[in-house]
Amino acid sequence: MPLSTKAKRIAACSAVLVAVIIFITVRFLSQPAPPAVAVPPSVQLLESRLVGRKDGQRQWEILSRSVLQEGELVTLGDLEEMVVFQDQEPYLNIEAPRAQWNRKTEVLRLYGPVLVVGEQDNFQLESDYLEWLGSSATLVSPGPVRILWSGMEIEAAEMGMDTEKGLVHLSGGVQIRDGGLLWKLEEAVYDLQAESMDFFGNVILEEEAGSD
Amino acid sequence: MIRKLIVPSLLVVLLVAAPAVCWAQGDTGKLEIIGAPPELSTGRYDRQAGIFSADVTGIEGALVQVTFEEVKIVGQKMEWRTDDDYLIFTTGATLTKEDFTLTAETIEYYGDANKLKGQGSVVVVTEDATVYSDTFDYDEETDQAVFIGNVRVVFEDGELTGEKFVMFLETSELQFFGAFQGLFNTED
Repeated sequence: MPLSTKAKRIAACSAVLVAVIIFITVRFLSQPAPPAVAVPPSVQLLESRLVGRKDGQRQWEILSRSVLQEGELVTLGDLEEMVVFQDQEPYLNIEAPRAQWNRKTEVLRLYGPVLVVGEQDNFQLESDYLEWLGSSATLVSPGPVRILWSGMEIEAAEMGMDTEKGLVHLSGGVQIRDGGLLWKLEEAVYDLQAESMDFFGNVILEEEAGSD
Repeated sequence: MIRKLIVPSLLVVLLVAAPAVCWAQGDTGKLEIIGAPPELSTGRYDRQAGIFSADVTGIEGALVQVTFEEVKIVGQKMEWRTDDDYLIFTTGATLTKEDFTLTAETIEYYGDANKLKGQGSVVVVTEDATVYSDTFDYDEETDQAVFIGNVRVVFEDGELTGEKFVMFLETSELQFFGAFQGLFNTED
């Protein structure tokens, strides 16, 4: 029995309606509901090499077994290799179990024990905690630090190293042993390139026996 | 009564008890900057050149002090060349050892040569005499202290003035060169 025109239209509309319902069901209802609270996207990577750049120039490079990114924070665990560059050349090699990089503030926190070994002059630095301030290219130890450099042994309660200017700012119970000379002072600024030290406040310099 | 004596080219030997200023090699020394607030720069050490310099002239109450065995030098501005152990104090300095005191505008110590020099308003005070002069040179090898220029030796019984005067510290002898003038206190 041939269908009337009206019946054909009703059948066509029904078919379209069914198709739309099926599409909506498959497209939306079959997927899990979105979370009620927004969570920042996080990504965990394994065996990654991270490179920090400033003005297009490589500042540091890290090889890490574990990288967890949460927003602006990048947490690095099981660090295998960390190199700080100066003028595109390796400047400092750093050993630390854990680090955290804030991309927004450009602060790299190194959790100790931290060992920094320089490419030149037998530079070595030990601290329990270090901060690398990318914006000013400064390495900061807010706590006790011990430095071996070019035959000198340096200890201080705090340290800030401006790697661009090559200045090391030492403060608090500073002791510098240089050959037969032992310096005791409260504050000093060491110029690594000029190999000179400006000191502030009171100073004690002892020449140890048998140093001649 | 004071009797005035003018004797040209006369050798005078006086007994003056003064200990030798001896800086023995191999002994330990200590340099201190004291009385300086922590925020003020007090000096610099140039490691390449081996020069330590300190200047506290602008800091009230601050001093630079070097102690070497029994010898102590105090001043406000100094420089120490570590390579040849040369030390110079300027802007008023005082060296003391036991009862020997040297004050001068500039005091220099030549460690390698074992020599000590004082320049400008030199005053040396010993147990028995005070000597004023323009310059003072002490050589540890010869144990001679040479005073030159406007020399005046003041002791208990009078004073002597001249242009050059040598003090042998170990033997406690004094020697005048050239013309000198003596003023002595004598009892009537």
